Amino acid sequence: MTAPAARRATPSVLTSAMRIFDLSLGQMLWSRRSVFLGLLLGGPVLLAIALRVVSVLYTSGFRINGAQAAGASVFGMMIWLLYIRFIVPVLGVFYGTSLIADEVDDKTITYLFTRPIPRRAVLYGKFLAYLVCTVLLVLPSVMLVFFLIVPIGGSSVGEAFPSLLADFAMLAVGLAAYGALFALVGTRLKRPLIVGLVFAFGWEPAVLLFPGYLKRLTVAYYLQALVRHEMPQDSAVSMLLQVFREVPSVTASLAALAGIVGVTLWLAGRAVEQREFVLDQ
Amino acid sequence: MTTRTRYFVIVSLLVMGVGLGTGLVAYYVGLPMGAFQRNGGPDELQYIPRDATVIAFANVQEVMNSELRQKLRRAIPVQENGQREFENETGINIETDIDRVVASLNPDPDSTNLPGAGMVLARGRFDEVKIEALMRDHGAHVEDYQTKRLIVADVPAGNPMVASGVSLAFIEPDLVAVGSTKLIRRAIDLHQSGDNPQAGLQSVTGNEELMNLVRSLDTSGNAWAVGRFDALTSRAHLPQNVAGQLPSITWFSVSGRINGGIHGMIRAEARDDEAANNLRDVVRGFMALAKMQAGSRPELQLMMQSLELGGAGKTVALSFVVPAEIFDMIPGAQKPMPAPNPPQR
Repeated sequence: MTAPAARRATPSVLTSAMRIFDLSLGQMLWSRRSVFLGLLLGGPVLLAIALRVVSVLYTSGFRINGAQAAGASVFGMMIWLLYIRFIVPVLGVFYGTSLIADEVDDKTITYLFTRPIPRRAVLYGKFLAYLVCTVLLVLPSVMLVFFLIVPIGGSSVGEAFPSLLADFAMLAVGLAAYGALFALVGTRLKRPLIVGLVFAFGWEPAVLLFPGYLKRLTVAYYLQALVRHEMPQDSAVSMLLQVFREVPSVTASLAALAGIVGVTLWLAGRAVEQREFVLDQ
Repeated sequence: MTTRTRYFVIVSLLVMGVGLGTGLVAYYVGLPMGAFQRNGGPDELQYIPRDATVIAFANVQEVMNSELRQKLRRAIPVQENGQREFENETGINIETDIDRVVASLNPDPDSTNLPGAGMVLARGRFDEVKIEALMRDHGAHVEDYQTKRLIVADVPAGNPMVASGVSLAFIEPDLVAVGSTKLIRRAIDLHQSGDNPQAGLQSVTGNEELMNLVRSLDTSGNAWAVGRFDALTSRAHLPQNVAGQLPSITWFSVSGRINGGIHGMIRAEARDDEAANNLRDVVRGFMALAKMQAGSRPELQLMMQSLELGGAGKTVALSFVVPAEIFDMIPGAQKPMPAPNPPQR
């Protein structure tokens, strides 16, 4: 009697998560959402190619407010405006909120939940697939932009390289933090996409504009502290952001972001374990 | 994992691997710059000794023919006198004879001149015989040094400012070197035997740290300067309380494109990230103050709007535009242009 029971013992969370990861990575990469992801990440590369062509064709180079911009500065500006303020939160919202919601909408969650694996492993495996999928797309995109943009105006690739490594680490941490937070939103709330978009593009930019402690309730506050590039002064909002910008230390930011990832993933896993998912007929 | 997913992962990792590998090579040994950008720096740099603390370049023809120069010429005619005096002393008309100049400052323990010994390499069209005769008339004598004629100027003995004397030599038919005799001799050595680190003879092109800065500026303007800030301040023997107030800058660079106005960029490399952040804060404060002061003056506002603070890590960069309208505020700048002086030959 004991032998069959041992054979059917539930696999560990890690083993189960890895099986779900293996299954989900392909699904995530070749889904319709990936077209959107491709467009989102192809945009900066196309922009970088255009800027490079302009800099080659016109000897006066690429100019900002009439002054010639060094490639490293333009790259820093692209990291801020395109990746940190837009692409990373958008990927977090769209992918994070859909980790479980997609399976519910497709009515395929039942197949996963009826497997002899811990329910939270489904979420962890899908989160891992999200992270690998986005990191494998975002980082090469940043890499291409770096090599296209930085040599413009004579900036040195070697000199700017350490900041690229810091950018990679920062973007990976940002994707993990936003993904984990919106995974929790996706498992806990109804209409998670709207809530996610309001948080990323309403709450976070608004709160960062004002002095006070509320900005500590954002991911951007900690993530922006890891950015080595100078914040661009592209608008009045950016100027205000700079005036009221408090920069926590790198250690504190990393600890806070690790805390956000750990706590939100744990809460999301708990929600998946406890919640009764009702499939629409 | 399906085959196409596996291929995607492999391609993505390959892009990352190639990029990181290239970046690491660029970081540790430098890249053959032709792969990504022009190999920067004027040719004259190969005659400047490696220990240079400051290097400056100016495309004299572009600057002299610029609209800004014409405006300043109308507004401040006194400059003409200095130019004529230089021509009388050396036989060189700056406006017509010189195409470009490269200047350097090198440490000189024998000199009390604060920035050290200096040398200017000017490329253009020169009448060697006339220049030598003029300098001889002013008391100079000629020495032979490694097949070159070194015209040593008559400087009062014991003048600590120019301890090694001032000389002029034609390194190439269209390249004249003027400055500290010691530096001119080293320039001739470099011209004769090229870089020879074993013999202690190396040009500034082997100073990778400085050349990286030069390369980053070469395409961006018709006048630029790069230098070691800490080397200059350490020679200045500033009082402790003043030295303590100076920002912790190791390298600085200034570049400008001079035409109707000036498009420029000032870059400073701080000792560490924290020093760079402090410097950025200071610059940001000054920028905010200046923007407030600009008030309702549109020509100043234009300049203030062009200020762009940038840089990452230890680098702080400030780009700016001084519009042509600013120079119109100088009395006399809008006067009609006088007829150009005929060259005095």
